[in-house]
Amino acid sequence: MFILTLFFGKIHKLCEKMVNSLNKNFYNTVLSQAFSPCGNLLVVGDIFGAIHIFLLKKILNSENNLSKEELTPKFCHTVKEDLQINSLLSTQTHLIVGCVGEVIGYTWRNLKANKFTQAWTIELPENKDGFNKTDVNCMILNEENGQLYAGCGDNNIYVFDLETRKLLKTLDKHKGYIHAISTINNELVSGGEDGLMNIWDLKTTKVVHKIEPSTDSKVARPNLGNWIGAVSANEDYILCGGGVRLSLWHYRFLSNFTVYPIDDQGIHVAEIYDDKILAGGRSRLFYHMNFVGDMITEIPTSSVTTYSAMHQDSPSKILTIAGSSPKIDICSNFMYRDQQLSLY
Amino acid sequence: MVKDTTPIKKKRKTANSGDNDAETDIYRKVVEFEEKESKLRSSEGDAQIYSNICADIRKKLAEMMEINSEVKQEGQRKQELLLDVCLKIAVIKKLNRVDKIQHVFGKDLLNVEKQKCDSIKLVYQNLVYELGHLMHEVTKCNSFKSKHEDIDLIDFSDFMKGAPSDITDKFKNVDMNNSEDLHNLTLARLEYELQQRKSLAKSYETLQEEKKKLAEDIVERKKKLDGLLPLLNTIINATKPLQEYLNIPIDKVRAEHKLAQLLPDPLYIFYANVVAYSSVHDVNLKANILGDQEEAAQFNENECNNEEIESDGENETQETEEVVEVKKRRHRKSVQVDPMEEKKKKILELHPLSVEVTLDIKDVPSITLLLKYCMKLKIVTVTSKVNLPSDITGNCAQEILSGENILNELTPGDFGLESPNPGTPYLLKKVGLGSFRNLVSQLGYAYKWVQTCCGLDFLDKKAWNEEIGRANVEFVFKTLNKRLTSRTTLAKQLEKLEQKSIPQIPDSIEKPQNVISNLTKFGSTTYQDFCMAKHTKALLDEDFINPSDLFFTATISRSSAHLNCFIVIKNDYPISQPIFSLNLIFNKQNLSAENSDQIRDMEKAINLEIKHDSASLLAIKFTFLCSYLDVLLETNFPKDFPQSTMFLKNISGRNRRNPFKFRKIGTGIFTQY
Repeated sequence: MFILTLFFGKIHKLCEKMVNSLNKNFYNTVLSQAFSPCGNLLVVGDIFGAIHIFLLKKILNSENNLSKEELTPKFCHTVKEDLQINSLLSTQTHLIVGCVGEVIGYTWRNLKANKFTQAWTIELPENKDGFNKTDVNCMILNEENGQLYAGCGDNNIYVFDLETRKLLKTLDKHKGYIHAISTINNELVSGGEDGLMNIWDLKTTKVVHKIEPSTDSKVARPNLGNWIGAVSANEDYILCGGGVRLSLWHYRFLSNFTVYPIDDQGIHVAEIYDDKILAGGRSRLFYHMNFVGDMITEIPTSSVTTYSAMHQDSPSKILTIAGSSPKIDICSNFMYRDQQLSLY
Repeated sequence: MVKDTTPIKKKRKTANSGDNDAETDIYRKVVEFEEKESKLRSSEGDAQIYSNICADIRKKLAEMMEINSEVKQEGQRKQELLLDVCLKIAVIKKLNRVDKIQHVFGKDLLNVEKQKCDSIKLVYQNLVYELGHLMHEVTKCNSFKSKHEDIDLIDFSDFMKGAPSDITDKFKNVDMNNSEDLHNLTLARLEYELQQRKSLAKSYETLQEEKKKLAEDIVERKKKLDGLLPLLNTIINATKPLQEYLNIPIDKVRAEHKLAQLLPDPLYIFYANVVAYSSVHDVNLKANILGDQEEAAQFNENECNNEEIESDGENETQETEEVVEVKKRRHRKSVQVDPMEEKKKKILELHPLSVEVTLDIKDVPSITLLLKYCMKLKIVTVTSKVNLPSDITGNCAQEILSGENILNELTPGDFGLESPNPGTPYLLKKVGLGSFRNLVSQLGYAYKWVQTCCGLDFLDKKAWNEEIGRANVEFVFKTLNKRLTSRTTLAKQLEKLEQKSIPQIPDSIEKPQNVISNLTKFGSTTYQDFCMAKHTKALLDEDFINPSDLFFTATISRSSAHLNCFIVIKNDYPISQPIFSLNLIFNKQNLSAENSDQIRDMEKAINLEIKHDSASLLAIKFTFLCSYLDVLLETNFPKDFPQSTMFLKNISGRNRRNPFKFRKIGTGIFTQY
């Protein structure tokens, strides 16, 4: 009886509240993030084709509880209605938005003044069927030669000159669309839906080496597929994961070094950071491990799947984890979540 | 006398001895002479003479005595003496006469003087009298009070303005200290006043006459009118059979209007508005007044009386309460005639008349609203009944058409569970009744729109935005009409769904063909069950769900895959979209938006991307949901489910997005964007 009255009490309380109508951001997913060069802005791109800009300064320096307003975006701008923003890249002067079918540049100066005029756009080459436009899934800038590498949905990796915005080269040996790329020295590592990890020589645009992790029974997960969702390389190792397990490979010997025993349903984020490994994907945890696979910390995430994790050291140390949720988790010590931003 | 007569005789003798004719003259002459003589003689000399003669006589008498005593016979001498004495006596006699005449003379003089004196006195007395009279007059004058002082004169300034100039000219520079001027002024003003009054009196008379005439006229006309009523009555009576024959309910309407007069003001306003609305618009809207006329009249009268006593009543009841308390202590407990109970009853008192409105629209079940007025709470409550058409038999379908929730949220957030009168909670608390919510079953729902329709205006806790302006009768019935229509189509859809078939949707709407998944289960559920489910937490946390919404469950299956859905239909469907919460059970996997991006994406597509104003929105959503399930299963488990739907890429993008966007190209194709 008592419980019943309690229950009805709750109902009544709810009745008095004005019920929110379904907000479309409830189903939003953040696919990409970028910090401004000054480190005070966080830009995130979502599946509705909008970029949201958060002011980090207050969020990081405040000891007190922050108001809802401070935890929501300061500005919001729709780049392309209903076309998802797959990747973002921050350069010293520009924010480069990898949309669908094109790459768009905005100057940071304009963005900071809440002006959303496009500085330039790069149209991607038309698809063969001309019907399905190409996703720009990942972008990397080579600051030495000013080349922009873009891994795209049409199975190709395009190399643009950022100054002239001309297409320089096309790397077209993948049979599935490109999930992730990583550069080291003069080589580029790419991972695709086809389950291949190609190592390209950027000068010759030839595939130098090829790894197929799914052929390794320790790494393969047939129920999830062979796709490679994330790659990260340093001088000695290549980290990869996806449908296959998160695994570390020797750069030189191209042999499996470590398979990480984590319980996930697909890796979308993997990075070698200092001597540690950051990884996330379809799992309610974000993993922080050392090379041999000892867990340093598991950070619970708000999103069902983590699609993006970004970090910067200055002006303050910060790790932002975003994915299929309107919420963005912020860790300032890489150990636990201390703030949660929201898109609405 | 003797003395008197003798001279006269003597004189007569002398006169007689004179001429006979002259005798009278002589007499008169004698008299005149004597009178003259007496005037000339002085009385003192005469008195001297008299005393001398008397002395002589005495002497002579004494001599005679002597002569007599001496006896000497001197006769002669005696004779002489005697003669002398006689002479002397004659002289005395003459003196006496003179004296007598003188006396008479003096007396006459005295009389004359006396008369003079008298007349002077008379004059004097006259003067005194006159003086007194004048004095009296003067005092009279002084004490005189003029009547004009009591008269209200026209103000001086008004007089100067209003009176003709030839009168006022003189007084332009009147000296207020000069009494003469002032007098004149007053006179002039009085004169003017008099004129004015005369003219006014005249006009008064004429007007009076006119009035009299009009009164007579009125009386005459009244008489005519009075004569008219029986005539009209007979006409009405005469038309009755005709009315009945032609089926014109004029009399009924009249009776109803009579009854309407007895309605409490709010209900009257509503009734009048509804009647007006239905007469102007082509709506089948029937308004009836329920209740007994006499009872209502009685009730209204009591109410009037009560209000008068109310102020005293307060104190009295307190006193009686005290008395009761005292009694309580003394007597058994059964004496407690609980005054609280009485008060409770009083508070919840309803007016004996109520208004019943029936809205009957084509193709839609008719709805009957019953409006009652709570006298003490001063709010109008509604109960409603939908006359379910015979073709709707399903439980869910009947449920959504049942009256109670059909009126919910005609305006956002209005559930009628709270009294819009801010005073109600206090009033209820005073008599120990709980919240208004508990009384709803007894009184009816107190929707805000009802109050506005009835002209009751209350302070609102929340600002009520622009909806308030629109909440008039027309708005309410239009909304109700829309609501009924959408509910009916919804009910028909639910009816079909309960029979496990997805209702037909209009051909104009682009929809996927060749759907394999089908509906295997459909039923209604409750808010509690919805809360129990694990995958609904996020929706609840964000307050997207209201307990007063309508909850349903459905299962869509394709071979061994079962998609369990909760469907939340908002009261104002289809304005607010139904919300689906999905849970896929396949291969011992339990997938939902909480643990699967694909399900989350599908939920997003079904909740956000299928938008339609059409009332068959639910059917559209179900159709799409089935094809989405096909897409989901075929893209993610291609081994278990052969492809039947058309899509270009099964996945794309870093998020391995499934194609949940339907495009009408050929037979229809699914794409990501």
